[in-house]
Amino acid sequence: MTRTDDIEISLRGLCREYAEGDRTHRVLDGVSLDIARGESVAIRGRSGSGKSTLLNLIGGIDAPDAGRVTVAGVDITQLSERDRTLFRRRHIGFVYQAFNLVPTLDVADNIRLVLELNNVPAEDGDARVGELLEAVGLAERAHSYPDVLSGGEQQRVAIARALSHRPAVLLADEPTGNLDDTTAESILMLLDTLIRKVGGTMLIATHSAHVASCCDRSLRLHNGRFDGSPDETLST
Amino acid sequence: MIAAVYRANFNYLLRHPWQLALSVLGISIGVAVIIAVDLANDSSRKAFLLSMDTITGQATHQVIGGPRGVDETLYVQLRRQYGIRSIAPVVEGYVSVNDTSLQVLGVDLFAEQELRSFTSQLSSEQSSGQSEPAAPETVFRNMLTLPGAAVLSAPTARMLGIETGERFDVVAAGTRHSAILLGTYGAADTQSLDNVLTVDIATAQAWLGLANRLSRIDVRIADGDARLLSEISGLLPGDTTILPAAARTRTTAEMSAAFMTNLTAMSLLALLVGLFLIYNSVSFSVLQRRRLIGILRALGTTRRQVFGIILIETAAIGLIAALLGVGLGAWLGGKLLGLVSQSINDFYFRVSVTEVAPSVFAIGKGLVAGVGAALFAAMVPAIEASSYQPRLAMTRSFLEQQTRRLLPFVALAGTAIIVLAFLVLGSSGRNLVAGLVSVFLLILGFALCVPLGVKASTAWLAPLARRLGGVWGGLAVSGIGSSLSRTAVAIVALAVAVSATIGVSIMVDSFRGSVSDWLQKTLQADIYAGMQRGSMQPDLIRDLSQVAGVAAISTSRRASYEDASGSTQIRALQMAPGSYSGIELLDAEPARVWPAFEQDDALLVSEPYAYRNNVAPGDTVMLRTAAGEVAFEIIAVYQSYDINGSSLLMSRATYDRHFADPGVDSIGLYLADGVNADDVIEAMKAISAGRQEILINSNVRIRDLSLEVFDRTFIITDVLYWLAIGVAFIGILGAMLALQLERARELATLRALGMTPLQLGSMITLQTSVIGLLSGLAAIPLGLVMAYVLIEVINRRAFGWQIDMSIAPEILLSAVLFAIVAALLAGLYPAWHAAQSRPALAMREE
Repeated sequence: MTRTDDIEISLRGLCREYAEGDRTHRVLDGVSLDIARGESVAIRGRSGSGKSTLLNLIGGIDAPDAGRVTVAGVDITQLSERDRTLFRRRHIGFVYQAFNLVPTLDVADNIRLVLELNNVPAEDGDARVGELLEAVGLAERAHSYPDVLSGGEQQRVAIARALSHRPAVLLADEPTGNLDDTTAESILMLLDTLIRKVGGTMLIATHSAHVASCCDRSLRLHNGRFDGSPDETLST
Repeated sequence: MIAAVYRANFNYLLRHPWQLALSVLGISIGVAVIIAVDLANDSSRKAFLLSMDTITGQATHQVIGGPRGVDETLYVQLRRQYGIRSIAPVVEGYVSVNDTSLQVLGVDLFAEQELRSFTSQLSSEQSSGQSEPAAPETVFRNMLTLPGAAVLSAPTARMLGIETGERFDVVAAGTRHSAILLGTYGAADTQSLDNVLTVDIATAQAWLGLANRLSRIDVRIADGDARLLSEISGLLPGDTTILPAAARTRTTAEMSAAFMTNLTAMSLLALLVGLFLIYNSVSFSVLQRRRLIGILRALGTTRRQVFGIILIETAAIGLIAALLGVGLGAWLGGKLLGLVSQSINDFYFRVSVTEVAPSVFAIGKGLVAGVGAALFAAMVPAIEASSYQPRLAMTRSFLEQQTRRLLPFVALAGTAIIVLAFLVLGSSGRNLVAGLVSVFLLILGFALCVPLGVKASTAWLAPLARRLGGVWGGLAVSGIGSSLSRTAVAIVALAVAVSATIGVSIMVDSFRGSVSDWLQKTLQADIYAGMQRGSMQPDLIRDLSQVAGVAAISTSRRASYEDASGSTQIRALQMAPGSYSGIELLDAEPARVWPAFEQDDALLVSEPYAYRNNVAPGDTVMLRTAAGEVAFEIIAVYQSYDINGSSLLMSRATYDRHFADPGVDSIGLYLADGVNADDVIEAMKAISAGRQEILINSNVRIRDLSLEVFDRTFIITDVLYWLAIGVAFIGILGAMLALQLERARELATLRALGMTPLQLGSMITLQTSVIGLLSGLAAIPLGLVMAYVLIEVINRRAFGWQIDMSIAPEILLSAVLFAIVAALLAGLYPAWHAAQSRPALAMREE
């Protein structure tokens, strides 16, 4: 049982539809979920089950057709697009399957990017970048460009970038999908360590049972809803 | 499988319609400019040749004389005494009707039917077509009996608003005469006889002040009848000669060849800039499809098939674009025609052309240029595409690395081409086309060096931008250097277009400055009075020179002298005391030259004449005079930007000794100190009123009028380089859009990380501004070299003029600003487009 004031992410009756020619396809169909602060939750499901859509709605990248998304006490469905962007900038970190590093920036600048967006003073930013580079084991590669890094290294940079501004919520979409098992394992450990260090909440969309087993809780999306009883997803 | 392969690629193009549209537009404009200039040049030239052919008729040769033409007794002698029947006398000149300049053609109706057909087509049908046409015999009889009887083409009569049977005024040699329109020519000959006023020979002589003189005698000599030709030659007096009519026409038409060649070169510039655009567009479409091509290769598509797909696709785009370009070119040609024919009329010969009809050859040329340019530009991307390994969808960074690795070699090739350009310049003597080829080689060479320069400058600028604008500034600038495969070509296209504006602007500015200085120096008299064609009445000259306040007077006669090599102007000057300094001698001692100038058989040659005929002081010029051929010694070369640049200058005394032409066509009046020029002009106008229509202007006004003609000549240059800039603008727009498309995921990630649309748009705008700045800066060295070559080589080879090069800093500054503004404008839409990036895209797996 989770106390209401401990809830970091709260979803209520979330619906999202996409048009496909003349038809509409309902990807999320009244999803409700509570996630406690500091909790790590895995969202599993087949391709097209709505995992990424759910992360987009929580991250404020997309807006639901119906329902409410509350993150860190803020109902982001009530925010304008610009305010959602600013909210995302301050409170959300993203880790993608394809890493999505900016190819024209070196490792340090990729991490610094979000700090500068959040107007972190340069000295503080430099210190934070150094700290994160140490944490992800890439201090030696600070001035390397993404295209010379291995997949595992790129994902470590992406994790450092996602956590640079100490977000309340980290959203990871198949973070190990492009990596071999050994590298994937090290990345998961790194994610777990760092998110706990900043006291953040983590939501991972994944196909992998192994990745899901590393989280505090695992939920399965099916036909636009979570499998299982409401008790498993909602705090009372 | 092949069909599916093509479909896969074709679908890609359809999904990127803007990219397709920009490619088509770029090629279309390039082709259109070529077609337009070609049509305007060709139509002017054809109209001139057609008109000359009609007027020349079946004449194979023409007997011509000196400045005063041919004595008419020669004609009588040839016809009566020697029984040569296939000859006809002609008196030609220019008159003005309702302020429109017309060529007057005086013919002997009895003699000339053997040579020309158009006079037999005379009809007196009313312009409105309402009255009964009169029989040709009636028109024939009226031509001989009615004073001032004339015939025009129907369109010219309509343009002038003159009906058949109506009287109208003709101003010839400054004197007003009454004429009557007897009839108009049949429809078949209308265009070739537009702006030609046909009258009886006696009328023409009276109007033009050529009593007992003929402009020429047309002769028809049957093929191979060398005996008749030599017989006529043997009968001619010393100041006349016989020349083949076709060659004479051709020589006149050739006078404008350099002008037209320069225009063609300007039009090729637009296609050259278009070439970069096509390269960019095809190369981008290949890059975008690297994944698709990788998959196709993995599925078994051969390198040759991939190569073929790209080339066939490009040829199809090139063909569609070229067809559009031909249509656009025909329209644009109509617009340019006015400018081209105006310049030809100003400088070379009278031409009246109203129609622009693209020939099959011109269309073919446009299509070949469009498709050829597209295929040429697509060659490198096609080779690149066919080299993709089947296993990989090449990474962007790999491609950029490849590009960066190639840069030094590309720059080396560029340097080699620049060296080649200078070798061509140095070894091509006076050949204009070789000079233009070297300009294009220079552009190409510089263009190939630009990407390395961009790489170096962005590496240097990025840290600076970083310090000034934070990581976003650095990101914007380093993005240019790290996307060289896209940005470099756009920068090159804009730099080439802007360098052309720098080069041409400096050339025109220097030219204008030189002409202005020359006018200032040359126009020594306070007031000039005279006429373009014809002679001033001697008693009028006397009266004008006696106006109160006039201290001294100079006289000038411009006479046209023709021989087998073409037409030369002879200027006979009677200078006022102390006015010799108005003529700038080149490398000669005035104290030695001027006394010799007044001596017998000495003359000065203009700089263009000396250049074209490769003569120098000490050489001689052979001229036909009343006493036969005389050798005149060249005692100096003088600076001249005269419209009829190729001219000989002799003293009035020398002229009078050798040519039986007492005429004066202009006078210069030197006023006493403190006399108001406007008052004298008013007095002169009052004296000449009712006697002869002459132009009276102060030297300041003449200078202004001359500079007006100068500026008018360069309007077409402005039009052409604006079109080249238009193509470059499309290039930047295309490149920036291409870059956005290619960086869609990166931009979406930035949005997902919290960058606002405004921040993203600003970043792209900063990037395009830097692209503009780099283009502008790269354009400066190329523009300066281009200006130097245009002034020292092209102008000299084309026209023989020596121009002092002066570089106005504001030209360079405005070119850089212009490049930035052009890039900024071209970047607006891409910036807006980037700002619309959906952050959700970043979440999607590739």
